[in-house]
Amino acid sequence: MTDEFDRSGILSVDEKSKDSTIVFGFWMYLMTDLVLFASLFVVFVVLRGPEYGGASIKNTFDLQYVFIETIALLVSSFTCGLALLFAREGNVRGTVSWLLATFVLGAAFVAMEVSEFSRLLAQGLAPARDGFLSGYFTLVGTHGAHVTVGLLWLLAMVVAIAGRGLSRGNMRKLALFAMFWHFLDVIWIFIFTIVYLMGVL
Amino acid sequence: MKNYFEEIGAWPRSHNIAGSYAVGFALSLMLTFAAYEFVVQNALPHGWLVAVVVGAAILQFIVQVYCFLHIGTDSSTRERLFALSFAGLLMLILVSGSLWIMFDLNGRMRPDSTQMVQYMNDQGGF
Repeated sequence: MTDEFDRSGILSVDEKSKDSTIVFGFWMYLMTDLVLFASLFVVFVVLRGPEYGGASIKNTFDLQYVFIETIALLVSSFTCGLALLFAREGNVRGTVSWLLATFVLGAAFVAMEVSEFSRLLAQGLAPARDGFLSGYFTLVGTHGAHVTVGLLWLLAMVVAIAGRGLSRGNMRKLALFAMFWHFLDVIWIFIFTIVYLMGVL
Repeated sequence: MKNYFEEIGAWPRSHNIAGSYAVGFALSLMLTFAAYEFVVQNALPHGWLVAVVVGAAILQFIVQVYCFLHIGTDSSTRERLFALSFAGLLMLILVSGSLWIMFDLNGRMRPDSTQMVQYMNDQGGF
């Protein structure tokens, strides 16, 4: 099936309908994830008030640091799109290069977030301390966990593409991964705005 | 393979995908930087700053959904737009309902000034 696809480059009606169903199914998963994040945002906003210790962290945010983090994730969203554009042209080398660039940027994002978390923990600002910190770590940590899973997926995909080239299965994985990765950047817009920018206002 | 992403409906056929990525990236960079600068410079009154920052986030949301996730009114992506709209409705109910209940509760539980004075007197004065 894969070989035939690679030779002719044409999907049968069955293959087309199966893959587009998978794309839609994955999109439905992302929509449920969106509702999960919405509930975490609500918890954060409710618990951000001074009566829950909200003032304790306001002055410890380093906005410039978070801005760099934000740009790293945004650029990685763009390079992920470039990887798909190269995949469409059948360019394995370009696809793998841009996927690796995406990986490096995503890993930098996670590393910065982990270092920020450990800085807070070292100052005694742990999730168990007050409601604000519980909401903060849950919301930002859930997003970070998603990005980390995305990084593992990315590595597995690079191995698969290096092995079997841009087969139908690998192209499908790329399409799903790109949705996942762009989705995480969309969530981050709101974390950057609601947690950090509005957090220091 | 050439048009695989279009064939399976991940990308709309009517879109210039490379162009949309470039435009989406440029706009997202500008909106992120603008929101950040407004907050860092602190040049506006508080209420205006909140409005600018939230407005920039909503704009960037629309830009990324359209340019990166390729959700539009094109027939191939319309069903994903419907799913997104329904998720939006669920989130609206979830978010506005929760905030309404919780902040109303906060208001009801906050003692007014006579209660506060009474409490302080009971505790042995100021």
